Amino acid sequence: MNQKLSDNRLQRELFKFAPGLFFVGLVVLWEAVCRLAALPAFVLPSPTAIVNAFFDVEFSRWMEHLWATLSVALMGFGLSIAISIPLAIAMMRSELLQRTLYPLLVVIQSTPVVAVAPLIIVLMGSDDPSRVLITCLLTFFPLVVSTATGIQETPDELIELSRSLDAPLRRETWQIRIPYAIPHIFSGLKVAITLAIIGAVVAEFVAAEKGLGYFIQFSTSFFKIPQAFAGLIFLAAISLLLFKSVQWTQQIFFGWSLPKK
Amino acid sequence: MSNSPERAFVRMEGVGHRYDPRPESPLAVKDINLEINRHEFVAVVGPSGCGKSTLLRMVSGLLIPSEGEVSVFGKQVSGPRDDVGIVFQKPTLLPWLSVRKNILFPLKHKYGRYARADEKRADELLAIAGLEAFGDKMPGELSGGMQQRVGIVRALLLNPDILLMDEPFSALDAMTREQIGFDLLKIWDEQPKTVLFITHSISEAVLLSDRVLVMSQRPGTVLDLIDIDLERPRSAETINHPRFSALTDRIRKHIYEPEAV
Repeated sequence: MNQKLSDNRLQRELFKFAPGLFFVGLVVLWEAVCRLAALPAFVLPSPTAIVNAFFDVEFSRWMEHLWATLSVALMGFGLSIAISIPLAIAMMRSELLQRTLYPLLVVIQSTPVVAVAPLIIVLMGSDDPSRVLITCLLTFFPLVVSTATGIQETPDELIELSRSLDAPLRRETWQIRIPYAIPHIFSGLKVAITLAIIGAVVAEFVAAEKGLGYFIQFSTSFFKIPQAFAGLIFLAAISLLLFKSVQWTQQIFFGWSLPKK
Repeated sequence: MSNSPERAFVRMEGVGHRYDPRPESPLAVKDINLEINRHEFVAVVGPSGCGKSTLLRMVSGLLIPSEGEVSVFGKQVSGPRDDVGIVFQKPTLLPWLSVRKNILFPLKHKYGRYARADEKRADELLAIAGLEAFGDKMPGELSGGMQQRVGIVRALLLNPDILLMDEPFSALDAMTREQIGFDLLKIWDEQPKTVLFITHSISEAVLLSDRVLVMSQRPGTVLDLIDIDLERPRSAETINHPRFSALTDRIRKHIYEPEAV
C-alpha cells in the first residue's frame, strides 16, 4: 500500500518535471556527442563553447544588438496592430470594403516578404522605417484575419439585442463585437509577435549594421559559429519572452477570454 | 377571459412574411390573425421551421411583415421597439461582465451609462430570480439554468410591457427546465407582462400559458388557439389534472394528424 503510494508520487513528480528533464538530457547528449566525436566548433559547437562565446561578447554589445532588433520588432508589431484591427472592424462593417480589400490582402500575404524585403530597402533606404515596414507586412495578415473572425463570431442574438435596444452602432462595436473578438485577437497577437521577430531579423539580413540578425550573419561569415549559436539562442529566448508577455497580458487583463480548465 | 377584447394589446391582422422580397417566393408565415391581451401569457407551438421565431421578431419590430400589420397598443410596429424584452434560446450573457453588469447591460448599451438606482433595481431583479448571492460572479461560474434566469431578468431591466421568449428553456435539462418554468411564472406574477413564449414542448406550453397558439407546417399559419382553463397558481400538481392531459392531447392531434381535427 505504502509502496504503491510512493510509486504514484514518483510518477506525478516525473510528470511535472518531464519537459525540463528532457531538455537537460538533450543538452547533455549534445555536449557528449561534440566531445566524443571531437566535432570541430564550425560544424557543431558544444553547449559549453556556446556559453563561453556568449560571455566573450561584451554585455553592452549584446544590449545594443538586442535593442536594435527589439525596437524594430515592437514598432512593426505596434504599427501592425494599429492598422489591422481598425481595418478588420471596417471590413466587417462594410461588405463593399471587404470585397474590395480582401483580394489585395491575400495577394500581399501570398507574396514572400523575404523576397520583397530587398526591394523595400532599395525603395526606402536602409534605415529603421523600411525594417519596420517589412515587419509590419509580415505580421498584419494574421491579425486582420483573427480579428475579423472574432467579430464575425459574435452571436446573432446579441446583435438582435443591440438592435432591439436601438443602440448606436458604435456601442454595438465597442460593447459587443470587439470584446467578443478578444480571444481571437489574442490568438492573432501570439502568432504576430513571433512573426515580428522574424520580420526584424529578415530585414537585418538584407541591410543593417546592428541587431541580433545582423550579429548572427556577421558571426557566421567570419566562421565564429559558437558566437552565431549564442546569438541564435538569445534571439529565441527573446522571442519566447515576447510570446509569454502576450500570454500574460491576456491572463491579467482578459482572464475571462481564456478557455476554462 | 375573452378572446376578442375591446382592444387587444398586441394585434396581428392578416400578417404574412417572405424573407425573399420577390413576390413569387414562398411565405414563411401567412395569414396570421391574433390578438393578445395585456398581461396575457401566450405560448406558441408548432413544427420546426413553421415561423414561430418570425412571429416573435415581428412583434419586437426587428422584422417588418411583408403582408398585413402588427400593432401594439393600437400603434403599428414599424421598427425596433424598446418596450419589449427578449429572452433567447441560449442565455447569451457577455462573458467579460459580472452577472450584475450583465443585467444592467441593456441600459449601458442603450444610453451609455446607468445610475445608482439602476444598480439597486438590478439587485432587486437578482433577488426575484433567487440569485442575490451571485451578482459579482462571472457568467461562466453559473450553471446553465442560473445563466438563463439571468437572461430573463436582463430582459426585465427596462421594465418592458412585452416579454418575448424564443424557446428559452430548450437548452436546459428536464428537471431544471420544469423548475425554471415555475420560477418564470413567479416572476410573471410579481412583474406582470404580456408574454409571447415559443416552445417545442407541448406540456410546457399548457403548463405555463393562458392560451396556446398552434401553428401549421411552413408556411406557418394559425391551426388553433386554445384557452388553457387550468387554475392558477400552477404547480407540479397541475400536470395530474385530467384537464391537463385533455388539453395536451388536443394540441398533439394538431401536430401529428393535422387533417383529423
